[in-house]
Amino acid sequence: MITAQDLTKRYGDRTVVTGLSFTVRPGTVTGFLGPNGAGKSTTMRMILGLDAPTRGHATIGDRAYAAHPAPLTEVGALLEARSVHPGRTAFHHLRALAHTHGIPRSRVEHVLGLTGLTEVAHRRVKGFSLGMGQRLGIAAALLGDPATVILDEPVNGLDPEGVLWIRTLLKSLAAEGRTVLVSSHLMSEMALTADHLVIIGRGRLLADTTVTDFVRRSGAGTVKVVTPRAADLVRHLTAPGVTVTTDAPGHLTAPGVTVTTDAPGHLTVHGTDAEHIGRTAAAHGIPLYELTPGTASLEEAFMDLTHDAVEYPATLEGAAA
Amino acid sequence: MTTATAVRPHRVTPARVLRSEWHKLWTIRSTWINLVATSVLTLGMGVGIGAAYDGSGEGGLDTVVFVLLGTQFATINLAVLGILATAGEYSTGQIRTTMTAVPRRLPVLWAKAAVLAAVALPLCLWTNLLTFPLAQAFLTDTDQSAALGDPGVLRGLAGNAAALTLLTVMALGLGAVTRSIPIAIGAYIGLVMIVPEVLTVLPYAVVDDAVRYFPAQALQSLTAARPAPDALSPGAALLTLALWAAVSLAAAASTLRRRDV
Repeated sequence: MITAQDLTKRYGDRTVVTGLSFTVRPGTVTGFLGPNGAGKSTTMRMILGLDAPTRGHATIGDRAYAAHPAPLTEVGALLEARSVHPGRTAFHHLRALAHTHGIPRSRVEHVLGLTGLTEVAHRRVKGFSLGMGQRLGIAAALLGDPATVILDEPVNGLDPEGVLWIRTLLKSLAAEGRTVLVSSHLMSEMALTADHLVIIGRGRLLADTTVTDFVRRSGAGTVKVVTPRAADLVRHLTAPGVTVTTDAPGHLTAPGVTVTTDAPGHLTVHGTDAEHIGRTAAAHGIPLYELTPGTASLEEAFMDLTHDAVEYPATLEGAAA
Repeated sequence: MTTATAVRPHRVTPARVLRSEWHKLWTIRSTWINLVATSVLTLGMGVGIGAAYDGSGEGGLDTVVFVLLGTQFATINLAVLGILATAGEYSTGQIRTTMTAVPRRLPVLWAKAAVLAAVALPLCLWTNLLTFPLAQAFLTDTDQSAALGDPGVLRGLAGNAAALTLLTVMALGLGAVTRSIPIAIGAYIGLVMIVPEVLTVLPYAVVDDAVRYFPAQALQSLTAARPAPDALSPGAALLTLALWAAVSLAAAASTLRRRDV
């Protein structure tokens, strides 16, 4: 379990991360999302004790990373920038790392096999492709058989096979009960891998939610309905015999179906399709003024959320100038 | 894979960090090239100087200093090795891996200094002990002729090795403070070669006095079988170099603790 509490990092007069608090739980893959420059890497470096927070703190389990007597068995990390001496072989890089914790040679060979590097283990890292470098970083992260795994943009530079491999690996690590935090600037990638999302922009927390919830709110798979008899429609849609609970004003949830009221008579329905809504309305004689299936994609929803937080937004004016 | 939450036999200890740094040093090709070059240059220069000497006198140059002129290369070579051990990790990014494994940071600095000293001292000692008799084989019947058993000779040979080792540690500290290979090498060369030369030009007695405490001058005092009357005594020179190394390491430790990796 990773806990960030009011994490703040300032470099000179530039604040990179501001009052960031979130929790990453074991047994799930948590996606750490944000546009480039949002502060993802800085946050991860603070969690790992490489950067000292200006304010706030991060803990792994019950204490700060640096306070663990055997940090590599607690947390395995892949940082965005390559962190290997290019003149050393993959094997010796891992072996030197293993020595600090008294990890045996057999474990080094095991992680080399696990990441498919056995054949190139005795080649110097300077000749490695981007993908092989990423695999070596992941081998180093798994070396201590850690309970928590932190990966910064692991799919960057990987071929489709490598991307698939990472996806499967992350899911299996979480299935083993580990805490997995993985950063990305691609919503679509996270939607396939993550269960939970922590979204930041310009160093601030924008959303801390489940993927399912994010998808539901994103508008993908929703239907917009305008009707003068909203309350009746809602009652029929949420099915007879089902208790409708109100968890926020104008926000009704029933198993499978969610209805949000934006304005009087304007409903956003999730969990069913336009055909079902149309038939239900017709069966009960409820007039509909509008029945529109939503088309927003996950990526659009993500961009909406982070729109104001993009560091260098591309503008047409800028391109023309 | 099994989850490691139940049993944790592994933990970071100073001995393990030492072992890791030892492993890191020897698994880089440049280490071998550097050390072999250091040794060969000292030996080669010593023998070459001995063979070429025509006995016409070298302005009363000390015998050990004369024979070990090739260690001038060692003062640069070994310093570069020290700088690569620290600043080199910042230029490659390796430092992030190192400090993630040992987040308390300081054990890494102590281990690097210990490993380098444990390599430099015996290397220099054996090289010097080999160079002296080989060079002397050409110097019989000249004014530079001396035997290993002559007063101050063994002390000079060992003192030179100790001085080179302390300079290496000082350079390692400079590398950790500057985190840049070129800046650290520049600072080292400035301190060891340029600044004292410039200072001696100044017409103040106090400056001449201070210059004796500079690293290269202390190295010279420590190497000489018969120290010059105006130079530091071997004991004072050793202490001076130990202080340079200690101050540099202390600055490195403070930087390492305070700054982000």
